[in-house]
Amino acid sequence: MIFFLFLMVLVFVAQIAEFFIPPLDWMSNAHVYITPVLVFYGAMALPLPLLLVLVFWAGFLLDAVTAQIIGSHVEISFGSSILLYAVLAGIMHGLRPLFARGRWEVHCIMTGICTSALLLGQYLMLSFRRGSIFFSREVWWQIGGPGLLAMIMAPLVFWALHWLARATAYPYLPRRGLV
Amino acid sequence: MSRTSIVALVVFIAALGYLLSLGAGGTRKLQANVYQFLAPFLSSGSGIQKQITSVRSNLKSLDNLQAENNSLRVENRSLKATNQALRDVEHEVNRLRHALNYRERAVFKLVPAEVVARDSSTWWRTLTINRGKQDGIESDMPVVTDEGLVGKTTTVSANITVVLLVADESCRVAANVEGTREQGIVTGERVAGQSPLLNLNFLSKQANLQPGQKAYTSGVGGVFPPGLLIGNVKDFRARELDGQAQLVPAVDLTKLEDVFVVVGRK
Repeated sequence: MIFFLFLMVLVFVAQIAEFFIPPLDWMSNAHVYITPVLVFYGAMALPLPLLLVLVFWAGFLLDAVTAQIIGSHVEISFGSSILLYAVLAGIMHGLRPLFARGRWEVHCIMTGICTSALLLGQYLMLSFRRGSIFFSREVWWQIGGPGLLAMIMAPLVFWALHWLARATAYPYLPRRGLV
Repeated sequence: MSRTSIVALVVFIAALGYLLSLGAGGTRKLQANVYQFLAPFLSSGSGIQKQITSVRSNLKSLDNLQAENNSLRVENRSLKATNQALRDVEHEVNRLRHALNYRERAVFKLVPAEVVARDSSTWWRTLTINRGKQDGIESDMPVVTDEGLVGKTTTVSANITVVLLVADESCRVAANVEGTREQGIVTGERVAGQSPLLNLNFLSKQANLQPGQKAYTSGVGGVFPPGLLIGNVKDFRARELDGQAQLVPAVDLTKLEDVFVVVGRK
């Protein structure tokens, strides 16, 4: 439970930190997303009820700080990020047995793919709302760039969270260590 | 699936359904409350970020500082002399204005604000500023700098406000072009690079705008008062039905530190 609370706090801190991490101009202004890496680790380490709480918290914060209300309509409905997180975390949760066997490479790659999928989902919803869709080089970078960065960050973040889980005697751990 | 999981899933779906059914008003209120909760964290984060930036920029060699100091001393003397001359001119202008019973032009009532965060999301171009309802700010108020239009306010909490930049695709501004009768709508691009450009749409095909011409707010629509500089024409192209100009924003939206919210007229 302590580990779960730590994860909740870390998600909050990561969401605030993302405010102050400037977009990467060498990557067509792609943003750095840390929160999805934490959530997708939670998807593998937490049981379903706690995972749902974590997903709700992360999606709620994401929508609260990003969703825009233009005139009298909301561009992307509040809650849509929770839904996207839930679907993607559900997929990651399905890979939990593999994680429990100490195989974490697939999960690092999947974390990147799911981060990009989250952004793709947002982009599709936004495009549907605005009535036009296009995929330029910049759009692909905005979607793919954060995924790539998440994939690179994932081993380090997973290792740190694994250490935290051990320190808090969290029982839902892989049988063998991450490293 | 365990009983706890089923209960958690039902509660999750119910809560999600409730949030998804929120309208614009409810969402705005909820967002404002969350921003209110986040305000101290955002302000602290902004302060730390500024300190880090200032430490980085202040790491200059002593030689550089000495040279800069000397040059500033010279500049200071020159400015003092210019200032004195301008004081005399100001005095004379004031005297003449008074004599002509000059009526002061209506000016905007501005609330100065500091940018605490920028571009917090991938799909919207926004800024977060450290002023809110307590300072008289409401939704859909224009935000400007001394150089021109920045955008408009969207979510407003007690002391934090989100500003939708003019470079965002969903921020639409009615505009006219100096020296012409051309009117159009300025929008940003959905995804732009480091230096975003603006599109001025719905011009006539014959507009033939020249690079450097200035586009101002026309006041149509009610959100933006007329006469605010939006940007300069970069190029113009005639399309099948209308003309479109690309504008370079008057304000460098990537380096904003301080802005003003137009809360009314004086």
